[in-house]
Amino acid sequence: MSQGHGGTEHGDRERFLAPGRDLLSGGIHPNPVHVPPPTPLPSDPVPEPRYLNLDPDDLVSTFADAVAHAEGVCHVVDDDVPDRLLDRIVAELGERDGTSVVVSAEPEARAVGDRLAARGLGVAPATPATAAAAGLGVTSATAAIAATGSIVLDSRRAAGRVASLLPSVHLCVVPVSRLFATPADVLRRLGSAADPLPPSLVVVTGPSRTGDIEQLLTLGAHGPTALHVVLVTDGLGASPTSGPATA
Amino acid sequence: MSGHHLMGPGTTLRSRTADAVANERLRSNVARAVDRFATHRREGLDELEDADGLRRAARAVKQQVLADLPGLLERFADQVLARGGHVCWAPTAEDARSYVVDVVGRHRATRVAKSKSMATEEIDLNAALESAGAQVVETDLGEWIIQLADETPSHIIAPALHRDRHQIHDLFVAAVGAEPALGTEPAELVGFARGRLREVFLAAEVGITGANIAVAETGSIVLVTNEGNGRLVTALPPVHVVVLGMERLAADWAQAELLLALLARSATGQRLSSYTNIVTGTRGDGEVDGANELHVVILDNGRSSLLAGEYHEMLACIRCGACLNVCPVYRQVGGHAYGWVYPGPMGSVLTPLLAHDQPEAAELAGASTLCGACMDACPVQIPLQDLLLSLRRRKAQGAGAAERAAWNAWAAAWSDARRYGATTRLATWGRMVAPLAGRLPVGRSWGTGRTVPRPAERRFRDRWREGL
Repeated sequence: MSQGHGGTEHGDRERFLAPGRDLLSGGIHPNPVHVPPPTPLPSDPVPEPRYLNLDPDDLVSTFADAVAHAEGVCHVVDDDVPDRLLDRIVAELGERDGTSVVVSAEPEARAVGDRLAARGLGVAPATPATAAAAGLGVTSATAAIAATGSIVLDSRRAAGRVASLLPSVHLCVVPVSRLFATPADVLRRLGSAADPLPPSLVVVTGPSRTGDIEQLLTLGAHGPTALHVVLVTDGLGASPTSGPATA
Repeated sequence: MSGHHLMGPGTTLRSRTADAVANERLRSNVARAVDRFATHRREGLDELEDADGLRRAARAVKQQVLADLPGLLERFADQVLARGGHVCWAPTAEDARSYVVDVVGRHRATRVAKSKSMATEEIDLNAALESAGAQVVETDLGEWIIQLADETPSHIIAPALHRDRHQIHDLFVAAVGAEPALGTEPAELVGFARGRLREVFLAAEVGITGANIAVAETGSIVLVTNEGNGRLVTALPPVHVVVLGMERLAADWAQAELLLALLARSATGQRLSSYTNIVTGTRGDGEVDGANELHVVILDNGRSSLLAGEYHEMLACIRCGACLNVCPVYRQVGGHAYGWVYPGPMGSVLTPLLAHDQPEAAELAGASTLCGACMDACPVQIPLQDLLLSLRRRKAQGAGAAERAAWNAWAAAWSDARRYGATTRLATWGRMVAPLAGRLPVGRSWGTGRTVPRPAERRFRDRWREGL
């Protein structure tokens, strides 16, 4: 056991790695009956998948379609979350798991929380205790991905994970300036020294689901049963100059 | 290797297969499930431009990773340590088990929540934790179902696919006190499980997960789930333990992104699973949830011995289950007949290589029709059929003297035209015995259930010679 930079190391690293190193030093002896197909050279860049459902000239429509494809609901709005949408979500909440609301720490989410509080709902910052009792969690995304209809949640910006996880309904607000075309546009930028990864970065594609009973789609396994994504095309700092937070 | 109990006392590959084939309910449950998976997979891959080109590239990525695995593991471990995580190097299953038992014991934890992990199934971790006094609850719905039924997974991504809704309903009533009035609709069953497992998440002191991908450049663990259990297990308990098969690395995010593009589509046909959760280090300042303590157990358990040999491509497996869903053998017998944690074509290759103490493991190479559907479905193009052939060859080298003499005689006879002709003349005598197949003392098990065609009265070569 030796002291690392932060964590500690257990077991013997050298002894663990030695057998593999020894074997690999003699070269790889392929399967004699297998003639391997030609593969790209190690020096070739890893190709980026191209998506046939992606319209590069209309990321907003591609995104909206893909959110629906993943059983989510996408609302494309000009400027901020419309009142009628909040009214609808609040009306549905009453029938579910209580009407209290938790919000994550992003300003976009807190702003929605303030409007819900003005409607008389109990609104609290998300913690495991408040989120477990809430019917609605409000967050904002650090990025959105058109080809897959995904939103990307950053635990550092949100100050946690539970607002998007424990309540039955998840409402996420994202300005169009953070909309990217493909997963590669988001994931391949991760890990720069200037912008280290947060403790949790989660790519959310639709609500929680299971197919474990007869492979039939059932929503709301452990996480939210419903996902509403509000894509704001103007306002909320939606202009391109505000820049994607994940880049 | 662990002395795993899964082969089932008193059963053999033959008896398990016979039981499965005779169980029509099982077969219809399995066939329904794999058909849905296979259809969705095709639809998912059809949305990618040149999916086969991406599979080729993914294969190359995994080959590069495996060729540089020791270096990548060092880089990954250093990144985990730098982000405050602990790293355990576990050459054997016992090393991994005792480390995790130790972590749980040090926290005096009695409530452990697990998200689905084949690596922990492989090392039989739950039994070790339970005998140390901890209560372990599987939180993936399918895993919970089979845990309640005291069964093992029958599919690597849908562990309970052999059970239908009525069987699951009855299990919930019998094992966890669900009201018999609980409906059998999937939504009602899922709702019941959600309520019960929510309590488990909130009370758990330690969360245990596997890892779909570990990214060396950032020390990140990628956990892919649809239910959200992978997120809950890493968000709520104060301690998170990851059991990582050493081969599951990607060097960087470009590699990881390509593998993720293929993983969900190959598994369930989704563009991405509901939650692709990227965990890097421990809870940050100001965050209200996430584990304060992270342990990454890097597991060898026989893998490194495969790194440079003829089976090294098997280490490229990303555990999507696509090969199970297209396999005509898996379709007929389901997962339990294979006898260990990994079923289907990937299991028939992996089990003989990793589970050396399973007496019948070598027999699994025969549990294939060699149709090659598995190779065509594999997102990283593992030559499963060729690996199965190699395993058959390896097994044949250990055959008895009589069997080898018989095959040598056959090879000698059929490599000579005159001798070949003599054997075909002999075959016409088979007219008399063919109808008796299954009733003779020799070859009874083979002949049972088969109709053996009667050889022609006169050989084709004789009729040809006489102008037909």
